[in-house]
Amino acid sequence: MSEGAPISAATFGRQIVNKFPGVECIPKEDGILECIVPADKIRDVVGMIDEEIHDAFPESVFGVDLQEDKYELIYIFWSRTNRTQYHLRVSLEGSNPEVETVCDIFPGMEWHERETHEMFGIGFKGHPDLRLLLLPEELEGKFPLRKSFVTDRARLEEADRTPPKPNATEGGASE
Amino acid sequence: MSPDILDETTEVWFGPQHVSAHGWAAKLTLVGDYVVECDPNAGYFHRSAEKCLEFRNFRQGSLIMERLCMLEAFLAEYPYIQAVEKIAELEVPERAKVMRTIMMEASRIHSLQFWWGQFSAELGLFAMLLWPWVDREFFLDTFEELSGSRHAVSYSTPGGVKYDFNDKVLKKLDIALERFEDRMPMMRDMLMGSPTFRARTEGIGQYTLKQGLKFGLSGPPIKACGLPMDLRKDAPDPNLAYDMIDWEVPVTESKEHPGESDAYDRMVQRFKEMETSVEIIRKLLPLVPEGPIIDSKARAKANRLPEGEAYGRVEGTRGISTLWLKTTDKAQTPYRAKIRGPCFNSYYSLKHLVPGAKFADFIVVFGSLDPYPGWWDR
Repeated sequence: MSEGAPISAATFGRQIVNKFPGVECIPKEDGILECIVPADKIRDVVGMIDEEIHDAFPESVFGVDLQEDKYELIYIFWSRTNRTQYHLRVSLEGSNPEVETVCDIFPGMEWHERETHEMFGIGFKGHPDLRLLLLPEELEGKFPLRKSFVTDRARLEEADRTPPKPNATEGGASE
Repeated sequence: MSPDILDETTEVWFGPQHVSAHGWAAKLTLVGDYVVECDPNAGYFHRSAEKCLEFRNFRQGSLIMERLCMLEAFLAEYPYIQAVEKIAELEVPERAKVMRTIMMEASRIHSLQFWWGQFSAELGLFAMLLWPWVDREFFLDTFEELSGSRHAVSYSTPGGVKYDFNDKVLKKLDIALERFEDRMPMMRDMLMGSPTFRARTEGIGQYTLKQGLKFGLSGPPIKACGLPMDLRKDAPDPNLAYDMIDWEVPVTESKEHPGESDAYDRMVQRFKEMETSVEIIRKLLPLVPEGPIIDSKARAKANRLPEGEAYGRVEGTRGISTLWLKTTDKAQTPYRAKIRGPCFNSYYSLKHLVPGAKFADFIVVFGSLDPYPGWWDR
């Protein structure tokens, strides 16, 4: 896999913008190319990364809860040849935000999307398998990584779990 | 590869009570002796580390990080430290940079020794379980002398390190390295030369470089395909000392199937990784400069961070581990912290790598990717 000369972050940013005018690309320090991508363009941009960068490595995709029903998705790719990280940022709104999946282009993103789905309630259209990944079926309340999720001892009762026993106040004989 | 004459399928849960499946389980669909479908299940260890990080301040966060992978604690805690240092713009003293790097490499050797023993045991070679684990104790002794703890070391802290080297630590590190150099080649040849071992690993779990990259594999599973993708070289961190010395990223290029790797190649690759780590430590030890081990203002500066975002990455034993950190102005805790464990992807890739293999080879494919449940469950 030695084909292809390195493409600088600025050049690749211009290529993306030329092809997809709605996208905004900002080269940053530390070899990061930050792209602000409209939600309906994400498959195009990820597809372009797959075609143009032969050693594109899918690092991660994750959500950020910006509160008031605003969310941000960040996709991160790394290219060793170009020594560049591609950070694609997608803004989403509404109580049921949704975006198209990219896991058929990069299978490595499949579980990252599945995790984002269960933790943030962000839908991925066309994803083959959106079952719960890390969370137990019996968890009450939804989307633990949203800021509105209550993390409190009180949740133990709510979820029908036994609250921890209070500390013993006096000593007693062992059984 | 799957035989057509058998159309009856059997479902078998591999784990979580199986001795090799310590906290994970995969549902395998078998036709005869062949696996036709593999559904890896995660979540048995899930403690919501990312949410926990939102409730810990910037000096406490690394304690959660190192618990995700106790075997490479020095490396696992580092992405968080790196991200905090970037946002707080902390300067790290030279002495701390070199000491961090040395301990990270020691941690890598120790983690690989653990894996090597365990992988051998998974193949049924139980003698090879305990030999590397005995040698590993000497590294744990070093960690204990340095930090007081064998596993949960919490060594790096924003702006430097917590514990200084002393003569006892250096002596113990030297004993561990000498013992390793003395015994590793003999044990390696004994294991790799064994016909049983070759028969069990050659051609098992084979994938091309392109497939490996698409699955999101990194670290030794990619380097075993012949691509020297290594963050230590590709994206050298100014707060570590990898660029102070001359060293080469080890790669394994198979003669039988160039550009691809099987379980045997990955084993070869990891032995090379250990040798490289020893070389890095040996070259860095004379270069430890005198001076402070932490920036005296670091504690105050890491108390409250300005608004910002940073992405910390480190080349761990198992691949690229990262942490994405977002802070709000004057906050004492992160707004969002996202952990990417390398094993999240290697465990996922079993879904694609296992079908077509024999049932008995499932554990070989699994073990050759060196997954650690803490990294995917978090």
